[in-house]
Amino acid sequence: MNIVVTVKQVADPNIPPSHIQLDDEAKRIISPFGIPPVMNGYDANALEEALRLREAHQGKITAITLGEESSRDVLKRAVAMGANTAVLLSDPEWLHADSASVGQLIAAGIKKSGPFDLVLCGRQASDTDGGQVLHWIARYLDIPVITPVVKIDAVEGDTITVQRLTDDGVQRLKVKLPALLGVSSEMNEPRLPSMRGLMGAGRAMIAAWKKKDIPVELPAPRVELRKLAIQIRDSKAEMIPGKTGAEQGAALADKLREKGLI
Amino acid sequence: MPGILVIGEVAGGRLLPASLEAAAAGAALAKSFGEPLFGALMGDAGGALDSATEAFAAGFATLYLVEHASLHSYTAHAHASAAQAVINAAGPSVVICPHTLRAREWVPCLAAAIDTGLIMDCTGVAADGADLVAHKPVLGGGVVGEFVIRAKPIAPRIVTLRSGASARAADAPNAKVERLPFEATANDRVTLLEEIAAQTSSGPKISDAKIVVSGGRGLGSPDNWHHIEAAASALGAAVGCSRPVADSGWVNSSHQVGLSGNSINAELYVAIGISGAVQHLAGINSSAVVAAINTDAQADIFTRAKYGVAGDYKEVLPAFVERVRQLKG
Ligand SMILES: Cc1cc2nc3c(=O)[nH]c(=O)nc-3n(C[C@H](O)[C@H](O)[C@H](O)COP(=O)(O)OP(=O)(O)OC[C@H]3O[C@@H](n4cnc5c(N)ncnc54)[C@H](O)[C@@H]3O)c2cc1C
Repeated sequence: MNIVVTVKQVADPNIPPSHIQLDDEAKRIISPFGIPPVMNGYDANALEEALRLREAHQGKITAITLGEESSRDVLKRAVAMGANTAVLLSDPEWLHADSASVGQLIAAGIKKSGPFDLVLCGRQASDTDGGQVLHWIARYLDIPVITPVVKIDAVEGDTITVQRLTDDGVQRLKVKLPALLGVSSEMNEPRLPSMRGLMGAGRAMIAAWKKKDIPVELPAPRVELRKLAIQIRDSKAEMIPGKTGAEQGAALADKLREKGLI
Repeated sequence: MPGILVIGEVAGGRLLPASLEAAAAGAALAKSFGEPLFGALMGDAGGALDSATEAFAAGFATLYLVEHASLHSYTAHAHASAAQAVINAAGPSVVICPHTLRAREWVPCLAAAIDTGLIMDCTGVAADGADLVAHKPVLGGGVVGEFVIRAKPIAPRIVTLRSGASARAADAPNAKVERLPFEATANDRVTLLEEIAAQTSSGPKISDAKIVVSGGRGLGSPDNWHHIEAAASALGAAVGCSRPVADSGWVNSSHQVGLSGNSINAELYVAIGISGAVQHLAGINSSAVVAAINTDAQADIFTRAKYGVAGDYKEVLPAFVERVRQLKG
């Protein structure tokens, strides 16, 4: 089974709000010194699931990303975790592409990288919180998309059976391959790269494709980002006093009562 | 003349309240753009759709209904095609939907199918001349982006709206209801095998509840979860949780509050053993009063909470619950 996993290098989502920095001109989030960018968490879940599927069904895993040159790091990490090959789509002209165009480019990159049965994407990227690139990839590959998926039940012949989260439980869906799944964090706990993986990843061959390699005519952006602004929360809670925890607990109930909240 | 189209959501046998917030945002946009306001609902004919129609109809020039057996159980394919039928009939310039779990799947499918601009999980939308401006939190909520979709050549522009982001509309006269014919196209690539309802706690639904009591990783182990259940039941509240709690399977994901879980619309939110990450706070409506219990007096949750207790929930919570029971008689 040939699996493609999309991965994205993102600013660490756990940057304390007080440390967030913006590049106003480029309208992007900068990783502050000492807090390096990371692999998008849901993409790590997607890659972990791909590794488990490969253990069960054999095959090959290709990790693909679109981003700046520095995104090589996220591909090296994917290889260190166990991906067989890696593809970097990077061209200055693509850096301000909107979700639709990013999806179109990644779809073109996937097609160029060879035949595939399954595309696994994180359900959303934790920097843009966009949640739509996967749908555009699926559209340009003309394959069905299911998201958010919390479990893969079975792969049989050319179908995959998955569990998709709903408001009050899950749906079980049988999907014809090739298909694209948006992976949620319930699915697994991503492994850490092994020592051997990390050492091998340094020498990994990463295919780097630019505009001349991916001849896609992009339309004018459908969505434009005008500006970013940091949200500061600096209010302070009124702390409920008390000599013991029990006293504080009772006093909290009294306070909420006094304010008409309970 | 195009128009603003609000697509409400019928699920679990009722109109989701977030649909009314989307309608209010739609009404404001319709006024700014000087365009009519349309509504739409999709589902199978009968019970739930009828009562939802009644609950939703106020304020629209026309309320479009797509009734079809294929819309009984949700699938992205059927929903996106039904929405496309409404768009073909109404010809709107903007489409607004509540940002529900379903919408996260079918709305981008729709946008990609008709090749248009989409911004999801917006906390506000406004007109800027002929352009549509949307505010959307990014990086979990630590940063807000201002996005624009120009009027031309993109139509319709689509946004999904976070619950708790706008007030519900005042009363208005009921719409003329128009049923649209819909030919479902078969989807031979995706088959719904079954719906499995989760074992959820009793009490009100998390998206409607006036009070939500939520537990986080600070509870320590699933064996302690009964503390949260007891507090919720004393307060008549819904049970919520943070993501690590859902990921570890202590409770079902349908209880998760936050960016990748539920957006609540409560008056009071009680956070127990929750650190207050931006992604968690993203699910709490800005009007909610937050009370937090956390051993760490420096925890981020106390920058959002109005009332805080720095202490161990194991000591604080039982006394809190007992006092609540006394107060409520
Ligand atoms: C893209 C993305 C989406 C996300 N979506 C969500 C989401 O929807 N919802 C969500 O919740 N998170 C989400 N997260 C995760 C989020 O960043 C945090 O990791 C998570 O909210 C932390 O959960 P927590 O507060 O329960 O755990 P922790 O951060 O581990 O906090 C536990 C807290 O419990 C306190 N504590 C410990 N013992 C006790 C005790 N005995 N009594 C009282 N307090 C105690 C500690 O002081 C600590 O503050 C998302 C992350 C990403 C990257």
